[in-house]
Amino acid sequence: MAIAGETTLAARQDENATKRWVRFLDPSERTLAVLLLMPAALLLALIIVYPVCRLVWTSFHNLSLTSGAPATFAGIENYTLMLEDPVFWETTWNTVLITLITVPGALLVGMALALMANLPFKVKWPVRLSLLIPWALPLSFAGLIFAWFFHSEYGVVNDVFRRLGFEGVIWFNSASWAFAAICLTIVWKTSSFMALIILAGLQTIPHSLYEAAEVDGAGRFRQFFEITLPLLKPSIVVALIFRTITALQTFDIPFTMTRGGPGTSTATLAMYIHQNTVDFLDLGYGSALAVVMFALSMAVTAVYLRMIRAKG
Amino acid sequence: MTFNRTLKLLLAGAAVTLSASAAMAQTNLRVFISSQHRPDVWRKAFDMYEAKNPNVKVTIETGGNTSEAQAQYLNTVMTAKDSSLDVMILDVIRPAQYAAAGWTVPFNDVIGDVGAYMKRYLPAYAEANTVDGKVVALPAFADAMFLYYRKDLLEKHGVQPPQTWDELAAAAKKITEAEKDPNLQGLSFQGKAIEGAVCTFLLPYWSMGKQLVSDGKLSFDKDAAVKSLKLWKDFVDQGVAKKNIAEVATDDTRKEFQAGNVLFAVNWSYAWGQFQGAESAVKDKVGVVKLPSVKGGQPASCLGGWEWGVSAYSNNKTEAQKLVQYLSSPETSEFMAINAALLPQFPEVYTDPDVTKAVPWFASARPVVETAKARPVTPRYNEVSEIIRTTINGVLAGQATPEEGATQMEGRLRRVLR
Repeated sequence: MAIAGETTLAARQDENATKRWVRFLDPSERTLAVLLLMPAALLLALIIVYPVCRLVWTSFHNLSLTSGAPATFAGIENYTLMLEDPVFWETTWNTVLITLITVPGALLVGMALALMANLPFKVKWPVRLSLLIPWALPLSFAGLIFAWFFHSEYGVVNDVFRRLGFEGVIWFNSASWAFAAICLTIVWKTSSFMALIILAGLQTIPHSLYEAAEVDGAGRFRQFFEITLPLLKPSIVVALIFRTITALQTFDIPFTMTRGGPGTSTATLAMYIHQNTVDFLDLGYGSALAVVMFALSMAVTAVYLRMIRAKG
Repeated sequence: MTFNRTLKLLLAGAAVTLSASAAMAQTNLRVFISSQHRPDVWRKAFDMYEAKNPNVKVTIETGGNTSEAQAQYLNTVMTAKDSSLDVMILDVIRPAQYAAAGWTVPFNDVIGDVGAYMKRYLPAYAEANTVDGKVVALPAFADAMFLYYRKDLLEKHGVQPPQTWDELAAAAKKITEAEKDPNLQGLSFQGKAIEGAVCTFLLPYWSMGKQLVSDGKLSFDKDAAVKSLKLWKDFVDQGVAKKNIAEVATDDTRKEFQAGNVLFAVNWSYAWGQFQGAESAVKDKVGVVKLPSVKGGQPASCLGGWEWGVSAYSNNKTEAQKLVQYLSSPETSEFMAINAALLPQFPEVYTDPDVTKAVPWFASARPVVETAKARPVTPRYNEVSEIIRTTINGVLAGQATPEEGATQMEGRLRRVLR
């Protein structure tokens, strides 16, 4: 009986779909649809498709604004140059390293912050506010503040070190210390964003689940790993996507803290793109670098999306 | 009705004609000056020009207090083909670059006999502003790097101002050891990855008689580069310069010296005026000489100075060129020397009695400016500069040995100047 009912329903749906399709084939309906979609499509083409196409076009040309010469076709020259350019490899590696360190770092700290903020405080606003402040601060501002914190002579970090009886560190004089200072700043700046997303996820978990688990005799740890973490997964993935893509485009914090120094040891790919296009006005090479970064971001997003789809 | 209409039309026509003729009579020129180059004093020079040319009004636009910051701003204005700026001040390293990009207008048509006109300037400035026979900008004022030293401390310990970098290191060690002041550094120079660090690298390199670029082609001498990088790194290792020298920018050197914490300092001419200021701890205790050389070499200084260029996108090119000719004249040079202590671009102004009365040390500054060398002249100077300054910064921070630094520098320079 039920099976027969379902079949009829499916048949009716089919019929409806066919009707809709026929109606859509009706020229006036189709024109209307196209016309209605046109503004959005044009806008999208203007602000996304055109710049991306233009970027790819420029990356295959010799276009240096300082030479005063018009653009000439260069084929893949900009890309082959990139392969032999040690600074390209160094900045790409630095970018990957920053991503590998600061994304998990910000996730862990963000998770801890979110769990803390989710505790049953009587007065919630001070906790929420302290979460919001680093998130709302402009990136370059955070970079400038921490550059002062880590200054070898006047910085508060070395001051604390000296008061504790240690020798101060010349943070920006060594690639590894400078790198550590940058990663610390990025984690500080971005973990609150992770915390905000995770906190939103935490609040959707029904309290009754924990009560049931407690009745069944599950401890805090078991509750966390069996209930909290699995139910948080969607929020974590969303937070990770956003954070990873911004990490691949890291610019402001190293730019304001070290300008990529000492030497070029803390420069990122985004900084190298900026340098080639804005400082050197070499738009051809800069565009080729930007295409690589674009491809990198797209690849990472694709991996994450696939992860979500597999889970869904 | 018809009468009214005709009257309205007539009035409107008259208004248009009046405003048009007023616009023709009045030229508004907008001049870009960097904020550290005394726009207040230049304003007085503009006032004098306006008094003589009532049809011209000059407005000043200031911005950026480093050469890089100014270049970034001007690059944006010029690539946008923006007509809002008529005249702009350019670091001496840029006229060639701006001319190659087609951003400035040559002066050849307005200055008459080019050879005779440019001969009046110090040769380095005539050269820096002439590209393929075209006068692409006119000099605003001169500059060079000097060695500042604590006259009082050198006299106290019976030490003569050093002639070579080795002598400087020995003098610094002797005096800092004897003074036992933990805050006193032997030598301060620019180790941060800024334009000044390019000069830091070039000073000993040039003093070995080597060139970086000859006829637009790279003429890199790797041995000399290694020696130059090693010289500065040794100062850090021997304790002559402080350990965080890779963090030190031009004005940091000035501040530290002015606070009395430095024995020797490499800096531009602007520092002199500040050292003699009311808040200076070293007022009347400062000596200035030409920079030391490497042993057996010739002393060399980095040529600085700023030039006036007329924008190719200006709507008032002819008026702008006339203004620049006035700004780059001996009279204005003398005025700016006396009132703003800017080094003259004309040799005879250095010994002008009014000038030597106002700034006595200018007389001894002339030979240094005359022997100063220009940084590589190439349209891709920004890239060359970036390569040199990040390399020396990395070597001073201990990220690379002088040998590794020189190898990296050579490889990267070769790619840019291929």
